[in-house]
Amino acid sequence: MSEGIVVGGTEDIEEGTAKVVEPEESGFDEPIAVFRTETGCFFALNDTCTHEEASLADGWIEGEDVECPLHSSMFSLRSGKVKGLPATEDARTHRVEVRDGQVVLFPGTDADPDACPGQ
Amino acid sequence: MASPRRIVVVGGGVAGYSAAAELRARGYDGALGLVDPSGLPYDRPPLSKGYLLGTKDAAGLRLAPEAWYTEHGVELHAARAAALRPAEGAVELDGGRLLAADAVVLATGALPRPLRVPGGDAALTLRTLGDAERLRAALAPGARIAVVGGGLIGAETASGAAVLGAEVTLIEPLDPPLVPAVGEALARRLHAQHAEHGVRVLTAVPERIETGSGGAAHRTYHLTLSDGTAVEADAVVVGIGVVPDTALAAAAGLAVDDGVLVDAAQRTSNPAVFAAGDATRLRRPDGTLARRAEHWEAAVRSGQAAAAGLLGQAPPEFGAPWFWSDRHGVHVESVGSLAGPGEVLVRRTDDGVPTAAFRLAEDGRLLGCAAVDGGLLIKAARRIIDRGTVVDPETLADPGDDLRRRAR
Repeated sequence: MSEGIVVGGTEDIEEGTAKVVEPEESGFDEPIAVFRTETGCFFALNDTCTHEEASLADGWIEGEDVECPLHSSMFSLRSGKVKGLPATEDARTHRVEVRDGQVVLFPGTDADPDACPGQ
Repeated sequence: MASPRRIVVVGGGVAGYSAAAELRARGYDGALGLVDPSGLPYDRPPLSKGYLLGTKDAAGLRLAPEAWYTEHGVELHAARAAALRPAEGAVELDGGRLLAADAVVLATGALPRPLRVPGGDAALTLRTLGDAERLRAALAPGARIAVVGGGLIGAETASGAAVLGAEVTLIEPLDPPLVPAVGEALARRLHAQHAEHGVRVLTAVPERIETGSGGAAHRTYHLTLSDGTAVEADAVVVGIGVVPDTALAAAAGLAVDDGVLVDAAQRTSNPAVFAAGDATRLRRPDGTLARRAEHWEAAVRSGQAAAAGLLGQAPPEFGAPWFWSDRHGVHVESVGSLAGPGEVLVRRTDDGVPTAAFRLAEDGRLLGCAAVDGGLLIKAARRIIDRGTVVDPETLADPGDDLRRRAR
């Protein structure tokens, strides 16, 4: 299991937006998007849509789903599961924890789909 | 109709696939078969985009991995359906094999509209994976490619051919095309991109195509256009729309009128047959016929609605229709409709380049929005349209305005 890295304070990511953590920072081989839902939870997925080249961090976050900005494929932020075509492959999740107001990302460690870090 | 226990989906495009997936998602646990000559269902939009350019391979087109069908109990039949036999509770495959079916989802899709001029049958079309492979083989650097039709498929094909180094001539009677789809300002910007990317644009229609005498490998085509211009090409590809594939429906006696007629639950005139996708046309409760919807998302939605209808469940509610197109390095989207009465507002950059168009009703409700490289704007517009929110026209035209906040 990888070491957690501090992505920033909880207030650094606005509700309904996401922050991209680049490979240089995370040590993971792909960019990771850390999302904050409007309900105040933090989730992380591989940032690149599994369908085509697009950043999910630039997508539309609604509830606990993100819609890709390019072709509107929908993914569950909690589980990475595809909820809408044209993507057919699930997005990879990464574990996030919130500790003392800091958002901590565990690159390469699967998220617990029952967890809602931040709440 | 009693709840069906043996359903056969005819057609493995995105409508048929979506119907099958939705049947399972809604808990249908009876037998489920899917018939398509190409076997594993695949997605068509990339055929004129990433697949043509070689950035996406055939495996990347699949709507689901092979294992999905096993896991979800969907039996794939890589065969052509020869006839629907609703009275006998069966679908007949080529060769005479009968599949038991007490209900059918007919999703036969559409066929490229043929170019009805002398020699027009020499033109390639782009609809299937096989079509895309033939076209890709013709797109060698320096090859002279004549594209007939400047709509979505024609424009994407011209763009892809230009990227691959072909010498492209685009022949289109309208200057610009796509005004009803994206509004005039964006239509002009998009059409002008062809010339900026080295595509020669001719505003005309072909009157005849003569095939040169060279062997198959060196065949050339001579096009004569309505304005007298002559165009020499190594390949001709035509993208002038589609016609619904209604042959099976008509042979089975279903009501057909430029599409298999369906109601809002995708029921055809035969209670055992539902239909979805490009092959269908909505007959409204008052008997009037809607325009056929020919976009990808409409096909997904109608497949899902057919699944709900088959199970006797209420059809899902869908909002404004949406489509996208990718060409010459830009991403175009449109939601709702830009065509029809109302005021059209255009959002422009500080340099005057149009980036989005909005159509507003008299009462200020948003009816349609199209944008170039404006995915989030479209997502916001879609929610505003679906909720009937009234938005201040000045904010719509303001390039600095974040429509997202207004859609929350």
